[in-house]
Amino acid sequence: MHLTELQLNEYLDNESDDRVRIETHLSSCDECAARLAALQALFTEIESLPELKLSTDLAARFVPSPNLSPQLPRWLTLTAALQAVLAVVAIIFAAPFMADLLAPLTASRIVPSWADVMLELQIAFVVWLQSFQSIRLPELSSLAFNLPQGISSEILILSVIGLLFAWGFGNWWLLHKKNSLV
Amino acid sequence: MTAPNDRDLLINARRGESAAYGEIVTRYQTSVFNVCYRILHNRADAEDLAQETFMRAYDRLHTFDLEREFGPWVRRVAANLCLNHLESRKVTVELDDERDADQSRSPERQVEAKERSGRVRDALASLPPHYRVVVELRHYQDMTYGEIADELDIPLSDVKSHLFRARKLLAENLHAPD
Repeated sequence: MHLTELQLNEYLDNESDDRVRIETHLSSCDECAARLAALQALFTEIESLPELKLSTDLAARFVPSPNLSPQLPRWLTLTAALQAVLAVVAIIFAAPFMADLLAPLTASRIVPSWADVMLELQIAFVVWLQSFQSIRLPELSSLAFNLPQGISSEILILSVIGLLFAWGFGNWWLLHKKNSLV
Repeated sequence: MTAPNDRDLLINARRGESAAYGEIVTRYQTSVFNVCYRILHNRADAEDLAQETFMRAYDRLHTFDLEREFGPWVRRVAANLCLNHLESRKVTVELDDERDADQSRSPERQVEAKERSGRVRDALASLPPHYRVVVELRHYQDMTYGEIADELDIPLSDVKSHLFRARKLLAENLHAPD
C-alpha cells in the first residue's frame, strides 16, 4: 500500500501527525520515496524564485494624507466619551444649584446704557477688591439632600472646585502623555 | 547611531509622523511588491497594489499588535488585497515579458535562471486566484494550514485541496514538454 498524495504533501508541509509511520514506509518503498523527491523538487523550484526589484520607491510615492490626525489610543477615546457623559449628568444635577447662585443676578436684570455698564464694572471691581477682606462662598440653600454633619456647603463647593482642577489636570496629563502611552 | 527598530517607527507612525512610516515602507516595499507580483504577474498592478497595501496598513495601524512582526502581517495584507483585486475584476492577466536577472552569474547561467524562473512565474500565473494565494502564503510566507485558513477565512479542508491541486497543476505545467 503506497502513500497518498495527501500524506506526502502533509509530510513535506510539516503538517502530518503520522511522520514516523510515513518515514518507515519511505525507507522501504522506492516508488513513494521517488514521488516524495519529485514533490520536494517542485517545492524547491517554486521557492527558488528570485526577488524582483521595484522600479519606483514606494516610500517616496507614499504621502499620508495631511489631514490624517494622529491616531489616539482607544482607551483615551473611551475616556473622553465617558467624560462627556459624566459632564452632561453633572450639568443636569448642577442646574438647580446654579439657578440658585445666579438668582440674585438675574432677578434685577435691566437693559443698561454704556455709561451704566462702565459704572457697574467699576463698582463691581471695587466690590471685588473689597470682597477679599471677607471671602465667603455662597450658601447652597436648595440642596435636595441634607449634608452630613460637619460638612458645610462651603466645603462642598470647595470640594467640587478641587475636583474640577483634578479633572482638568488629569486630562492635560493624559493628552500630554498620550504619545508615550500608545 | 543605530537605526530605530520597527516598533519605535510604528509608534511614531501612529503619532502621525509620515517620515517614520516612510522608513517602514522602505524596509518592506520590496517583499510586499514581490508578494503582489507573484500573485498578479504584472509589474504596474503589483506596484499599485503594493502601494495600496501600505495605505491600508497605515489605516489599520491602530489595530496592529506591536509585539508581532510587521513584515509577515503586511505581506498577508498584500496577499489578501491581491486576491480581492483578482476576484473583483476577474482580470485576464497580461504577463509581463520581464524576467528575473541575476548579474552575478555567467551570461549562460543567467539565461538559464531567467528561463527557469520565467517558467515558474508563468505556471503560477496560470493558477486560479485562490490557488495562487494559498501557494503564496504556504511557500513564500511560510504559514501553516491553520494560519492560511484563518487568514483567508476558509475551511482547513479547502486550504489542503487548493494547495494540493495547485501543486499538481504546477507540476504538470512545469514538466510539460515544450
